[in-house]
Amino acid sequence: MELRISSAACSRDGAPDVELMINGKRQDVQQGATIAALLEELRIDPLRVAVQLNLKIIKRERYAQTALHAGDRLEIITFMAGGSG
Amino acid sequence: MEKDGVLTFAGREFRSRLIVGTGKYPDYRSMQRAHEASGAQIVTVAVRRVNLDRTRESLLDYIDSAKYTLLPNTAGCYTADEAIRTALLAREVGLSDLIKLEVIGDQRTLFPDNEDLLKATKVLVKEGFVVLPYTNDDPVMAKKLEEAGAAAVMPLGAPIGSGLGIRNPYNIKIILEMVRVPVIVDAGVGTASDAAIAMELGCDGVLMNTGIAGAKDPVAMAEAMRHAVIAGRLAYLAGRIPKKLYATASSPIEGMIE
Repeated sequence: MELRISSAACSRDGAPDVELMINGKRQDVQQGATIAALLEELRIDPLRVAVQLNLKIIKRERYAQTALHAGDRLEIITFMAGGSG
Repeated sequence: MEKDGVLTFAGREFRSRLIVGTGKYPDYRSMQRAHEASGAQIVTVAVRRVNLDRTRESLLDYIDSAKYTLLPNTAGCYTADEAIRTALLAREVGLSDLIKLEVIGDQRTLFPDNEDLLKATKVLVKEGFVVLPYTNDDPVMAKKLEEAGAAAVMPLGAPIGSGLGIRNPYNIKIILEMVRVPVIVDAGVGTASDAAIAMELGCDGVLMNTGIAGAKDPVAMAEAMRHAVIAGRLAYLAGRIPKKLYATASSPIEGMIE
């Protein structure tokens, strides 16, 4: 699944795509796309998730300032059904 | 008889002593109806990757945040580090500061790894979490968890999903005598009487998932469990008769027809 982040959300128009890992899957996003832009593109409510970038938890207020780069490993976590039982 | 109080831990009060889960339901709609029928106020959830396929439904759409308190769990964690990381992510979602701490020691029995559980409890208590650890029925372990700052202790009745009921009521009774924090039986409840037995022992609550979700009619079983927890608690407070080897006649001797 390819993700095209609208150029309006990015720092540079026409920036090349970079490959990173999102929830264990390789994805292409535009270089410099922010976490906030990505969540919007994916139609994910930021109030229902936690985000971990390269093993570091990113605070919600930093989503719009945190840009994604090639080779990043992003985990978007939420509450799902289940338990050990 | 005094009216029963409420389930209290970490400064929160809950009228219902039944905690339910969200896993293994046929669909979200039946889960929602089962939650309703159970009367539960606390619902456990797993911490997992978002499904990037946006056509799939979202669990949180089926849990009314005004009605239910979310209790994220660290299901699937086999080490203290994994459980701690999961708990931190769960808190970051921002919908709960409670954590049901599960550190699994064995894949087949799903028994807890108590060593790592205690480690993780200490770290998370220090981080300000309200920690509810899933443990076994070892009173020494229960005491250590309490001393480490756990807000309650949750001894298993039997292996998760086994439906075997309360395998060691004597140990559970000893735990109740040894700790001051709430004791909530978690795991192994298969049917209503199991839940009632846990409450009759004096437990403060019961947590179950498979017992309801896996039943042929989860909504009916949820209602059964609701009654069972209430009945067991009332029976405990009412003070049962002692068990005797021989009969004690109920009717007087005088006035008997000759």
